[in-house]
Amino acid sequence: MRVCSELNDTHGPTAEEKTSVPNVSRVVASQKTRKHMKLYCLSGHPTLPCNVLKFKSTTIMLDCGLDTTAALYFLPLPLVHSPRLSKLPGWVSKDGAVNLEKELKECSGRVFVDSQPEFCLPEKELLDLSTIDVILISNYHCMMALPYITEHTGFTGTVYATEPTLQIGRLLMEELVTFMERVPKAQAATCWKNKEIQRLLPGPLKDAVDVWSWRKCYSVQEVNSALSKVQLVGYSQKELFGAVQVTPLSSGYSLGSSNWIIQSHYEKVSYVSGSSLLTTHPQPMEQSSLKNSDVLILTGLTQIPTANPDGMLGEFCSNLAMTIRAGGNVLVPCYSSGVIYDLLECLYQFMDSANLGSTPFYFISPVANSSLEFSQIFAEWLCQNKQSKVYLPEPPFPHAELIQTNKLKHYPSIHGDFSSEFRQPCVVFTGHPSLRFGDVVHFMELWGKSSLNTIIFTEPDFSYLDALAPYQPLAMKCVYCPIDTRLNFHQVSKLLKDIQPLHVVCPEPYTQPPPAQPHRSDLMLELQPPPMAYRRCSVLGLPFRRRYERIHLLPELARSLVPSEIKAGVSVATVSAVLQSKDNKHVLQPVPKPAPVPPSKKRKRVTEEPPEVLNPKPLLSGAVPLEPFLAMLHKNGITEVKVEETADGHILHLQTEDVLIQLEEDATHIICDNNEPLRTALRDLVLRFLQKL
Amino acid sequence: MDSDCLSLLPAVCLVLADPKQAPPDDTSLEKLLDWFKELHSQSNGQVLLQDQPCLLEFISSVCTSETTDPAILSFTLKLTGLLAATKQGFHLLEEGGLLLCAFEREACYVCDLWEDASVRSGWLQGLLNMLKHQKSLDFICRNGLIKVVLQLQNDRSLFVASLANQLLVHILNFLTSSSTTNGSDAVGSSVSSLRSDWVSVSSEIMNAVVEALSSEDHPQVLRGLRLLSLVLSQCGEPIRSMLWKDVLVPLEVLIKRGSESLTQTLMTVLQAADTSARPVEELLEAMLGDGNRKECFQCAALVVKLEKCPEVSKRKATGIILLPLQCVSTQPQTEIETYLVLNEQLSQKASCISLLMQSLSSLAELAHRKFLFEDISIHSITSSVVWLLRMCSGQCPSSLLRINASIHLIGCCKVQRCGLDTLGALSVYEENVDLRKDIFGVLLDYLQSPDSHATVLKKTFQAAVRWIAVCSPFPDLLQFISHDLFPVLEKRMCDLRWEVRDSTLEFITQLTTALNGNSGFTEALHTSGMVSVLLSSLADTEGYVRASAVAAVGEAVTASFHHAATERNSSLLEKALTQMMIALSQDTEGFPRRAVVKAFTSWLKGSHPVTALESSLSSVLSLGGNDFDWEVKMHTLELAEVLMEKTLTCCPYIVQNVDFSEKTRLTQALSRLKDYGLFDLLFNSLLDCDRPVCEKACALLVRLRTLTAETADLDHSALVLNVCGNRWGDEVQSRYLNKQQA
Repeated sequence: MRVCSELNDTHGPTAEEKTSVPNVSRVVASQKTRKHMKLYCLSGHPTLPCNVLKFKSTTIMLDCGLDTTAALYFLPLPLVHSPRLSKLPGWVSKDGAVNLEKELKECSGRVFVDSQPEFCLPEKELLDLSTIDVILISNYHCMMALPYITEHTGFTGTVYATEPTLQIGRLLMEELVTFMERVPKAQAATCWKNKEIQRLLPGPLKDAVDVWSWRKCYSVQEVNSALSKVQLVGYSQKELFGAVQVTPLSSGYSLGSSNWIIQSHYEKVSYVSGSSLLTTHPQPMEQSSLKNSDVLILTGLTQIPTANPDGMLGEFCSNLAMTIRAGGNVLVPCYSSGVIYDLLECLYQFMDSANLGSTPFYFISPVANSSLEFSQIFAEWLCQNKQSKVYLPEPPFPHAELIQTNKLKHYPSIHGDFSSEFRQPCVVFTGHPSLRFGDVVHFMELWGKSSLNTIIFTEPDFSYLDALAPYQPLAMKCVYCPIDTRLNFHQVSKLLKDIQPLHVVCPEPYTQPPPAQPHRSDLMLELQPPPMAYRRCSVLGLPFRRRYERIHLLPELARSLVPSEIKAGVSVATVSAVLQSKDNKHVLQPVPKPAPVPPSKKRKRVTEEPPEVLNPKPLLSGAVPLEPFLAMLHKNGITEVKVEETADGHILHLQTEDVLIQLEEDATHIICDNNEPLRTALRDLVLRFLQKL
Repeated sequence: MDSDCLSLLPAVCLVLADPKQAPPDDTSLEKLLDWFKELHSQSNGQVLLQDQPCLLEFISSVCTSETTDPAILSFTLKLTGLLAATKQGFHLLEEGGLLLCAFEREACYVCDLWEDASVRSGWLQGLLNMLKHQKSLDFICRNGLIKVVLQLQNDRSLFVASLANQLLVHILNFLTSSSTTNGSDAVGSSVSSLRSDWVSVSSEIMNAVVEALSSEDHPQVLRGLRLLSLVLSQCGEPIRSMLWKDVLVPLEVLIKRGSESLTQTLMTVLQAADTSARPVEELLEAMLGDGNRKECFQCAALVVKLEKCPEVSKRKATGIILLPLQCVSTQPQTEIETYLVLNEQLSQKASCISLLMQSLSSLAELAHRKFLFEDISIHSITSSVVWLLRMCSGQCPSSLLRINASIHLIGCCKVQRCGLDTLGALSVYEENVDLRKDIFGVLLDYLQSPDSHATVLKKTFQAAVRWIAVCSPFPDLLQFISHDLFPVLEKRMCDLRWEVRDSTLEFITQLTTALNGNSGFTEALHTSGMVSVLLSSLADTEGYVRASAVAAVGEAVTASFHHAATERNSSLLEKALTQMMIALSQDTEGFPRRAVVKAFTSWLKGSHPVTALESSLSSVLSLGGNDFDWEVKMHTLELAEVLMEKTLTCCPYIVQNVDFSEKTRLTQALSRLKDYGLFDLLFNSLLDCDRPVCEKACALLVRLRTLTAETADLDHSALVLNVCGNRWGDEVQSRYLNKQQA
């Protein structure tokens, strides 16, 4: 048997002169704390979120995305010695006052930092990261900052992620580390970050924010240590400290990607991160479980709402075909997992029909092999269509066939086998999409000078113009086909209409049209009530109060209850019990009988003494009706009554007796000086109208 | 054959009349009825009933039996009507009491069979068949059948109701035509010219119409309006004017009441009435209202389409129908604020789209007729369309602040397609060429947009061709084509969707045709690399695309003929010819092979001799003639025809020698044709399994024979033997025998 206790100060319709409070109220009162849920926003990036939710007694981090766009301020790291990059002039201010020749280089009219690229971390000062109990990861792109959070902050909690998220996330981290460590830089540039100096730098370096919090890439050891804290979850419930349950739901965006539901018995928070409704390779998005949420935290919508993925895919294919037909090469800077699977699948069908069947595809990444293989083994995380292929003698993704027929070849780097087998014209898929590190830097240097070649940007994370800045002047053609399969505004408003959350929390950019297209009011969230917007370092009190807590009654206590029916179908009983709260579970136990005090014991252990048991006074319920009450007073000889209407009820002035009776909705007061018999008599009259428990 | 059939008729009648036999299906009954109709029309006054008394027995037994099948009864009623269409037949049937038995009012009701819609329909059709002479009309009037027909006008079966309407119209028509032929008054006579007993009939029908129009019941009003529009469009005077006078008041009431669902039907009525008449103009005016009613837009769209329409009404309708377009895409005007209904309609997605489509298609309709806009400049209208198209691709906000129509319109293919059609249609106004920069800009945006649907791209191409044709004299056009258009086309030829590749190639073909003779364009076609892209499209995986590529290459070659034979041109011709010959001999699909032959035909038709083609002609004729696709064979024969014409009339490939006699010239020409294998082609095709191929080959051979016959000094036997080594008749015969043996 369970009872609910309200956490709010709500009054029942009982009315009595307040002389004592029944025990049960006292028990509940100990739980009567008004609790707000809080959200700490450590990242303002809409698609690389890092938020901390304080819910009940738990502190939950939702994703820890790493904003790598800071790398765009740095010079590319060439794999092979580049005469062009090594001969760049150092930067000296025009008046010669500031000389940062060693740290900053001028390249194509812009100034870049000559140092190992750094990244912008989630905010670390907003709250003590060591207090975080769990980190929920929704997809492999949103976990790249994990080592920064779990290492060197005193973090002792657990990280929850699905298996593909962990494995592919590991690949992406290892790839990032390899890219950096392959091209070590002797020293790190720090002088330029000095506020006084930065002020004098040319744009866009001058306008870079929080540069002091930028950090260089982590090490393999840190990656391993961070990932050792990951506990794998399937799409099923997990309980945290008895207080809340967390459930990952398929989000349809990438292999193993998930949204999360965080709920207690009476509250439900949904966290929607990168999700997709398109039919690509992952399992489709689970929507119905998101219904009835009190709060929905919405992040990870498409970054390019004006680019429809289908159209972009078409654009990608036609530009690729055009270049190959004209005898040029195609460079596709991309991540080693994700959209590349869909691109390969699309090309697999397209190349033959476009008569380009003999063109070789190269996939170059330190983790290329593992990425292609992993994608084939996570059958249970794939869409239905691909899952069913597991039972056929063919692999779920057609890239296996491309590899078998030698149309797709993969290499860990441009060094080694690749250099001997490389044949042009060809299509190369390689990282990193920022064009600042990885094998892509080499191809930019190699192919940039010919207008026959084309670079096709498919990843939406970086501005392609900024990415290309250090390679100017560039003869090769540039095509921007960002393929972002995440939800667009149209889809999300349909989804929200369907799942009807009470409140929506989202990054600020979602609440206004894109700055470049101020007339596109269709590219923003328009909701009633309006969504709560956050930016980096916001702390939001989530707009709902926890009202109820679940408390269990022990069977023996339940047995002792005497319910009395106050209206049809509703019975009420008073409970006198001891409330035990442990591990966020609350249990009402029978009050232990006081043990006879052994006379021999001299020392009294005050703390262990059970509370004194009082016989509870009966509880009252009902309302005092005015007219019958007046009639009753009249009958009892009180005739001169002046009735005054108040906001809450009535005040009765018994003029002869000089007594005031306040009849209110939730209380009745008898104010009567020094006439205890009269007070008692009046009280008894009031009590006649009320029910006793 | 008919006599054989007639001898079977008694037995057929017996079978049909036998209730124990399962009735034949409707189709065979219909066929039987058709046969009777044909017989009836050929009878030349002979009465079928007299020769075939079994028919009378059949009718009698079916109409009196209570167990007749509805299908048989329906057939019998139609047949009876048909037989009663002649006076003698009518007389015979009436004499036997069969007419009453079949069509009498009471007879209809007592029988449960009346519940079957096919019986009611047969009854009406029978009366309609019968109504060819006065006696039949007398019969209908005398027996009060008009009432039944009027009731059937409200029948739950749409077919029956529509047939009843037709019958009523037919009766009214018959009333007037009989009275004018019989009576002394000429056409245009008043009601007095009708026979007195018929006056009551016509007024009964007309009263029914008036009553229906005044009804509160929506379906009944609708039926009344339908009958009214039928009468107005199909009946003559005086019925038209009589009815029109009676319905004016209820029509006015209906229009004032304003109901969207009646608009279409009301407009049909007004259209059927003499639209130039004063009251109609007033009614149209009332329907259009002040542009602030929901139904006025639909009404305006219909008025715009009217052929004969008072100028005032048309101008007003034009103003109204353009409102939605202007409202969404031009600067806010204070007066537009007053159109509350329009604002409300535009704020809802479905009505916004439908209103704009009405607006756009009406505009296209007006442009089609080159309507002269008075109150508003064609520039501003065209700019509105351009603006709307931009809005649909998400580039512009909608102008009226209170309506955020752009949310409904961004990416809306329907409006995009309709808008592009309209933009294309607006190219007829010469003054619009000033806007060509904007127009080409928006068309280019659509061609570039990765989200453009294949059908939208097709419409964009169609509009672009029209505008390019109009703007061809302007020098900036070439700049646009080579700098902006060609790169986009090149990309579209690599599109994932074959439909897009196909329409792009079609567009290039049309473009090349439209700019034929423009040396700058031909130059751009070569220098931009478009030609090589076209040649590579010849190897597309999709047959339709290959066919379009063949056409485009063919047209590009034709275009290059107009200019000096450069090395580049001859290299193009050589490459094209080689690839097209490969396509003709190897392509697995018919479309590309047909396209190849058509392209060759067009080259041959051109005024410039294509010497390179000459050496391939015999292969073309042989490959084309032996193709298993009959259309390829047809196109090959068309090629042969052109070849014949060219060779026989002017012989462009032979140096003309004045000394040559007519005979020598013809003999040489024929001998050339023989070298091409033309005769082989013709003789083979003559025996082809496809009839059109045989006919075409035959026609060509006949033409050849006529031509040789006309050449007086030709020794036929010598020529024929010389050319073919055999006489034509013998040649055909021997080939036929060979084929038989094979």
